[in-house]
Amino acid sequence: MTQIIAFEIFELLVFPGIAFMVLMGFLFEWVDRKFFARIQSRYGPLYTGPVGILQPFADFVKLLSKEDMVPRACDRGLFTFVPILYATLPLTALFLIPIASEAGLVEFDGDLILLIFIFGMTTIAVFLAGWSSMSRFSILGSVRSVLQMLSYEIPLGLVLIGPAIATKSLSIGEIVRWQASNGAWFLWLQPIGFAILVICLLAELELIPFDIPEAETEIVAGWRTEFSGRKLAMFRLGRDLEIVLAASVVASIYLGGAQAIGPIPPAFSFILKALGALLIFSFTRALFARLRIDQMITGMWKFLLPLAIAQVALLQIELGAFG
Amino acid sequence: MGYASTIKVPFGPQHPALKEPEHFLFEVEGDTVVGVKPRIGYVHRGMEKAFELGTYTHDLYLAERICGICTAAHTTCYTQAVEELMGIEAPPRAKYIRTIIAELERIQSHSLWIGIVAHEAGFDTFFMYVWRDREAVMNLFEELTGGRVLHAMNAIGGVRRDITPEGASKIRKVLDYFEGRTKEYLRVIRTEQTFLKRTQGVGILKPNEAVKLGAVGPTLRASGRKDDVRIDDPYVAYGEIPFNAISSDGCDALSRTLVRAEEMIESIRIIRHALDKMPVGAIRVRAPKVAPPAETVSRVEAPRGELIHYARSNGTAKPERYKVRSPTLANIPSLCKTLTGIHVADIPIILAGIDPCFSCMDRLLVPVKGGGGTRHIAKLRVG
Amino acid sequence: MSLVREAFRQLRKKPCTLKYPVEKSAPTQGFRGLPVWDMEKCILCVLCQNACPPGAIKLVGKGQEAEIEYFLDRCIFCEECVEACPKKAISMSGEFELANFDRGKMRFRFRKERAPQKPQ
Repeated sequence: MTQIIAFEIFELLVFPGIAFMVLMGFLFEWVDRKFFARIQSRYGPLYTGPVGILQPFADFVKLLSKEDMVPRACDRGLFTFVPILYATLPLTALFLIPIASEAGLVEFDGDLILLIFIFGMTTIAVFLAGWSSMSRFSILGSVRSVLQMLSYEIPLGLVLIGPAIATKSLSIGEIVRWQASNGAWFLWLQPIGFAILVICLLAELELIPFDIPEAETEIVAGWRTEFSGRKLAMFRLGRDLEIVLAASVVASIYLGGAQAIGPIPPAFSFILKALGALLIFSFTRALFARLRIDQMITGMWKFLLPLAIAQVALLQIELGAFG
Repeated sequence: MGYASTIKVPFGPQHPALKEPEHFLFEVEGDTVVGVKPRIGYVHRGMEKAFELGTYTHDLYLAERICGICTAAHTTCYTQAVEELMGIEAPPRAKYIRTIIAELERIQSHSLWIGIVAHEAGFDTFFMYVWRDREAVMNLFEELTGGRVLHAMNAIGGVRRDITPEGASKIRKVLDYFEGRTKEYLRVIRTEQTFLKRTQGVGILKPNEAVKLGAVGPTLRASGRKDDVRIDDPYVAYGEIPFNAISSDGCDALSRTLVRAEEMIESIRIIRHALDKMPVGAIRVRAPKVAPPAETVSRVEAPRGELIHYARSNGTAKPERYKVRSPTLANIPSLCKTLTGIHVADIPIILAGIDPCFSCMDRLLVPVKGGGGTRHIAKLRVG
Repeated sequence: MSLVREAFRQLRKKPCTLKYPVEKSAPTQGFRGLPVWDMEKCILCVLCQNACPPGAIKLVGKGQEAEIEYFLDRCIFCEECVEACPKKAISMSGEFELANFDRGKMRFRFRKERAPQKPQ
């Protein structure tokens, strides 16, 4: 009995639990920075550790040691609490994703809805971060992030529900198992949904072309402007974990997720697929300029939302026709 | 309980959008800018006074360091002014070499600017590519003049180094490479949808407004006018080289980008023509140490627009008064006009649109009558 | 999407960054680096001191025992001294890695080789 509990604790804390997820966060940040740099004809992280792989960890540790400045006019409680919230929300959502086996650490029917909810909560955390800072740049950034969320939330929900409709289940683990047993990935079953998911996740992660809330050249660092030291370290960690979460969501729901291929363990194929999704994010990040908030809202509501509705409608027709 | 409907957003003196420190206080209502108050003078170095303290030869190096990106323009303007004061003229070959260096600098400055405007729009990859290619021009400068940024090519009475046939062939190679790259940039600027969305229709400056507010350079030429000092008032060898002033009717940030990119191609043509037709002969005449009492105004077309130097001599080896009016200062009123009524997100693109070089610009001297006391430089208000 | 082809092409090539200090960009011929005095040719005529705009050259001492003191922290690398020297004793080397923490190390002294004393 104690052996089972010890094993569960190991799973929760180490693999595929918190330690593993944090390490994946650092690894994914390194891959993103290296790939982004190589497209731009430069090296990216180079000196810390072999090929600079320790750079994200070094940045995190450095930030932990820096002075933590708190603006006098800010809302202290919220200001201190939001970084922790922002770092732990993606961690919570990652527990729902199947990593080491074909079931997540926590699984129940309806955890897809919890996932969508956590995506929304993350943006609320961003809003609160900017709002509690009481600085002009932060307020502009947080307002923009809320506007952005209002635009991408519905298409995001629709394209995540698409596979749920096809598999008749609201559980992520169930979707992964359906793809494994039917030998088909939703990547080619619902390609429009895949494209829309990537775009919406780019908006969720605030990556170019949608990094409007933290547009460096316009509003310094947007909602993150006033944070420094440990709080900024938490934000960076949260951002890395969010990227892992987004890549994992793409990998699990559209790319088949953690599936054992012969003797290769599921975790391995999961990491590969998540890295593939990450490379798509990085590549798109490198290709475009930043959009303006009104252009983004218009584009989302005029094009993306109708396309997402069309995808779900198409799916229903397909299901109705083929049973 | 009334809340103000506008908030004041400060841009600078330290801001990621500005490469040099200046202060712009924006009044923002929602996402629209309703007012702007610029405050300039953060890079004031007392250069005009420093000019009076050195001899003409020493001041040449001071003029070179007014700005890092337009050094050749400043030294060309300076040497022209001082040569006029002294009553000497640079030999024809020196004039051609000055033209080549000035046009190479235009290419370098415009490619730097295209990178900057891409960065302001969030288009970082394009920024990196442009600056990578710009290295070819910087290395060329190092080979020709001994320095990447500060060329020290112009001297009073001519130029200090000659362009050998070897140097000429190096220039041609770099120009061929750069022409291909510039055509590629033009293709990207014209077809990249996200970039077009950020620059098309942004920062409209109507032609009559541009003239009334005193805009110069590519900012003016992007509003339909064809004013170019190289054509209106030819200096060095421009009178003998046929070329066009590039202008565009768009009046927006996209036109300014296209005008500068096409000016780069035009500069490449000018340099090729100058290399082909370069006269043989001396590159320098001896300059006297002392200039007879006189005053003169010298104008050149710096990469940013019309640059004016005024010099007054009094028979000694040092100038009595030297004034520099750089193009960025002339563009500030039109900048403030275009900065009202826009989205907050358009601010950096419009700011970058005039190609601001604040270190060139800050040169206000406020005389205080009766001695003593200080006076606040009045804030520019454009309405 | 206009940068897609260029991005793929760039991924295959080596980045254009030089890994300084392991990989250096060699200065070209004629690069205006640290000026060096050839004291065999120098006649201690003071013309370089007069020509230097920021006053980075000072002749210290008198007569043939004088030394040339060169202030690296004032130099603007303009080559005026090279042009002014009638004996072409000054040349600009290619050295550009001249940064230092110690002001004392930014002063250079050039002196003529003393003729060996005749043994009594």
